[in-house]
Amino acid sequence: MLISLNWIKDFVKLPEIGIHDIANDFTMKTAEVEGVEKRNVHLTKIKTAKILSHKKHPEADKLNLVTFDYGSGTAEVVCGAPNVRDGLVVAYAPIGVTLPNGLTLEPKKIRGVLSEGMLCSESELGLGEGSKGIMELPEDTKLGMTMTEYLDAKEDYIIDVDNKSLTHRPDLWGMFGIAREFSAIYDSPLCTPFSSDWQKKLEGLFTKDKSPITPKVEKDCSGKAFWGLSVDGVKVEDSPQWMQDRLNAVGLRPINNIVDISNYVMMELGMPLHIYDRELIKDNTIHVKLSGKEQTFTTLDEMERKVLPTDTVICDSEKPLVLAGIMGGANSGVNDNTSKVFIEVANWQAEEVRKTSVRLGLRTDSSSRYEKSLDSQLTYRTLLRTLELIKELCPEAQVIGKAEYDGDDLNAEKPLEITTSSKYLNNILGTSLSFEEIKKILTNLDFQVSEEKETFNILVPSYRSTKDIEGQHDIAEEVGRIVGYDNIPVKSPMLGVNPVGLTPYKQVERKVQDFMALKANALEVMSYPLVGKKLLEKASWDNLNEEMVLINALSTDADRMRPSLIPSLLEMAAINTKNFNSYRFFEWGRAYLPETKNFVNERNILSVAFFNKECTPFLSLLNVVEDFLNYMKLPAKFLGEGELKGENPLMPLSWRGKHPYEYQDIFIRGKALGVVSSVHPIVLRDFKIKGHLSIAQFDLTDFTKTEIKTKESYKPLAKFPAAQFDCTVLVDKGQQAADVLSIQKKLKIKDLKSMKIVQVYPLNETQNSVTVRFSYEDPEKTLEPEVIKSYEDQCVKNLESAGFPLKS
Amino acid sequence: MLDKIESLYASFQNEITPLDKQADVLNLKASYIGKKGSLAEVLKGLKDATPEERKAIGPRSNEIKKNIEQAIVDKLKDLEVKEINEKLEKNKIDISLRDSLMENGLQAAGTHPVHQIQRKIEDIFLSMGFEVLDGPHVEDEFHNFEALNIPETHPARDMQDTFWFADKKHLLRTHTSTIQIRGMEERKPPFAFVGPGKVFRCERTDTTHEMVFHQLEGMMVGKGINTGHLIYFMKTLLKEIFKKDMEVRLRPGYFPFVEPGFELDIRWKKPDPKDESAKHSGWLELLPCGMVHPNVLRAGGVDPDEYTGFAFGLGLDRLVMVNYQIEDIRHLHRGDLRFNEQFSFF
Repeated sequence: MLISLNWIKDFVKLPEIGIHDIANDFTMKTAEVEGVEKRNVHLTKIKTAKILSHKKHPEADKLNLVTFDYGSGTAEVVCGAPNVRDGLVVAYAPIGVTLPNGLTLEPKKIRGVLSEGMLCSESELGLGEGSKGIMELPEDTKLGMTMTEYLDAKEDYIIDVDNKSLTHRPDLWGMFGIAREFSAIYDSPLCTPFSSDWQKKLEGLFTKDKSPITPKVEKDCSGKAFWGLSVDGVKVEDSPQWMQDRLNAVGLRPINNIVDISNYVMMELGMPLHIYDRELIKDNTIHVKLSGKEQTFTTLDEMERKVLPTDTVICDSEKPLVLAGIMGGANSGVNDNTSKVFIEVANWQAEEVRKTSVRLGLRTDSSSRYEKSLDSQLTYRTLLRTLELIKELCPEAQVIGKAEYDGDDLNAEKPLEITTSSKYLNNILGTSLSFEEIKKILTNLDFQVSEEKETFNILVPSYRSTKDIEGQHDIAEEVGRIVGYDNIPVKSPMLGVNPVGLTPYKQVERKVQDFMALKANALEVMSYPLVGKKLLEKASWDNLNEEMVLINALSTDADRMRPSLIPSLLEMAAINTKNFNSYRFFEWGRAYLPETKNFVNERNILSVAFFNKECTPFLSLLNVVEDFLNYMKLPAKFLGEGELKGENPLMPLSWRGKHPYEYQDIFIRGKALGVVSSVHPIVLRDFKIKGHLSIAQFDLTDFTKTEIKTKESYKPLAKFPAAQFDCTVLVDKGQQAADVLSIQKKLKIKDLKSMKIVQVYPLNETQNSVTVRFSYEDPEKTLEPEVIKSYEDQCVKNLESAGFPLKS
Repeated sequence: MLDKIESLYASFQNEITPLDKQADVLNLKASYIGKKGSLAEVLKGLKDATPEERKAIGPRSNEIKKNIEQAIVDKLKDLEVKEINEKLEKNKIDISLRDSLMENGLQAAGTHPVHQIQRKIEDIFLSMGFEVLDGPHVEDEFHNFEALNIPETHPARDMQDTFWFADKKHLLRTHTSTIQIRGMEERKPPFAFVGPGKVFRCERTDTTHEMVFHQLEGMMVGKGINTGHLIYFMKTLLKEIFKKDMEVRLRPGYFPFVEPGFELDIRWKKPDPKDESAKHSGWLELLPCGMVHPNVLRAGGVDPDEYTGFAFGLGLDRLVMVNYQIEDIRHLHRGDLRFNEQFSFF
């Protein structure tokens, strides 16, 4: 939204401070200013001049050397315009001027002749398209005037306000509303020209004739209020310079006086309106109703729009003329031959306008105002202001009949009344404002404040209560922002002190992150929770999570929630194999599985990847995993291929990426909550990963809900020495060395403290020798040699009967 | 006789220096201070000395004997050290080969920069008595919109580009403000909590826009909680994050779930004293905040006539980007470890 400071000054006197201070005050008290621009500076330096003589440039046929009088002297420029002629009054830009197109005039020779500036066209002056060649001014124009004087186009500042910060303020979409804010910000009276005398004066233009058109608004459509006024005898031509200048200033393109008036009034009062060529309205009928059928409608911008039966349209006796609140049709607009017009000032239901405009992708100055909920009370004022400007620009224009209305009863709407107290307002703001201070702020904002007793009443202006102001909390904002939030005393609340601890979720999250970084030596990454079918298929992941597909995804690469973190992990692994020979990373993220009752089951997953180009990192990962489970105080069972009954939800049996040997299911508290596997080369190949990738997945959701409880106790240190016994057995190469340890379960030795593998040594083609160490310890006494001997015998016997003969 | 002792000592000192074998040192010891050593020999003549001479010779000869003993001990230690060092030299390792100098693949480890700043902020609030909560990413309309005073017809729904699921009832949360509602539902005032997490916006990604990013929500509800308290916590937070007093400004901002609503900006660039317009620039929009709207309190089961509260939302990615001057927000989710390793712990 662009604000013209000159326009604002029509309604309020601003203090003598710099423009940046003004913009800053607006940012701090109302809405964010995104920028400030100075306008029309160049026009103060451009002068009116009369061409005295011209002759052909000696070096170029198409150029002329033009001598002219600019009031206080004469000068000569090189000019290529076709309309150069003696006696023509023109606009002269001397050396040093910077034109709106960014060109700064410097002393310059054109084909050997020095040009002392230039004669300008309309477009070079930033005054619109204009005709071909240089701008032609009337013959009787005084010479040496600045263009500012000539055009009545003053230097101006344009303040650009962030539209988003005005979403809740329909009243600020016009200069008058903005002026009211400044009046409150600077405690400077608002000059409102729209008095009851003003109203009477304009109503005096109504005639006793029957109004040619009486609008009719159906109750079931989005129409809330509709004023219509017929005017004859308008003459369509260019608007006066001042009006064109103001429209240009706020970013609207001048078209002709009638269209410009409708835009001007909208920019001034914030209420859109529409002016029809009355002769294009069939049977003088204006009927506001639901479209009732699907049809196409050509809007002013020559685009065909699909209208649904539920859209509100303004029709004559046979066709739609306007898409209510959004845009007029190409069939009834004002054109060069228009002389009879019909002025419409209406109000529409915000949601309906918004719905249709969003559907059509057609956001206009009109729809963007209506969708913010405008105030029907402002329609009549807007109509009269339009009439006032038509009379000003076309003095011959005649009203036929009077303003005709249909819609909600405007007198039935009672202003919103809010009861509050100084105590409440000060309590929520943390201020100590007096009632008088509060009252002054609210009165400047056009609220009516009753006298204070314990509480007081506030009448809210109708244009603020369409949506923005509802209760006393909103009043607190009005007072707070004008006082200035930076003026509120800052202090700590006095509160009871209670211990706070980390939730189970946070405890798990922090332990995971700390362990993985500090102990597992891994880097944390984040991948998108959104994935695409393509990635899942590339990862040979059968569950495509079709139930978790978004209906408005940005791309098919991110159109559904991920069922697992593995596919994203593979994608990231692929990126990094290009740059590193080995790496470790982890992600603490979520997988999203469909669920009937709660729609989704969000699982908190730890996903880990170890990569090494040369040799498999599986065992390193497995060791890290074992440490991790100990650190989390989660006792777990490691199950090999085929040992788990049923499916591990973290890695389906059918997944092609599963490694046939480097694989372990992890069983925690009765559930398969973890898996460690190397990724099968066939899947690695699909990701162009050359090397060895081992991954682990843990579903820790259960432990994020309730704290992990553990029993930990201390055992007194042994007072008597332990006895150790090493023996070496033969193990077939097809078997795993650690299978030797399985005999532990069968041993009936209460003093056995541990049994560990000391060494594995390849003996021959078929056998390994495995040395194991038994350690015995009696807490009460030193073990007798014969007891030790019996233990040793039992161990050897068990090893042998389990198929592990002693190495001779 | 004293002269004899002195010259004996001098010759000991000359003799011990070149020795490099333990046995020679021990022999030298025996030859000087052994029972039949030269010192004992000389001292045999003590009986012929006058009482005055004895007074001088006695202490001096003891002193010399002690010195010689000490010199022998030192010499033996030196020889032993030399011997050990020779062994150590044989087993010498190359101490220049630190891991960081080796091409051993990627050695860096640490957490994600967004999580680093997140934990820092969590800890600041924990220290001030705030709990740390979380909530689901897939939300329903109630928690993401209705309860936050954003009814279906509200234009603010346009401001939040929402990802929807096919049932048109479930969506990906567009802000962590959903945690406000879930937090209130489970608590009775007074309470205070923060809620960090991922949020989702249906927005084309580029260097400054992401469809997935991180916010940290905060809320405090109690009797008499006011705007001044909100500013106090925000200033304290910023002081703790940036480790200095930050210049901040609070200006009106529109968010349906707060009233009054504010935008809190921090001064990011020093204004140029010569430039009038610069006086008002250099602000970085950091966090939207405000007093919780009565409708939101009500939706969370809190009586707005009895309690008031404040809430705020902080963009964590923005903070990380500003802090490290990261040029492209998409690095955060790309998983290129060349990026992540720059934030490693070690």
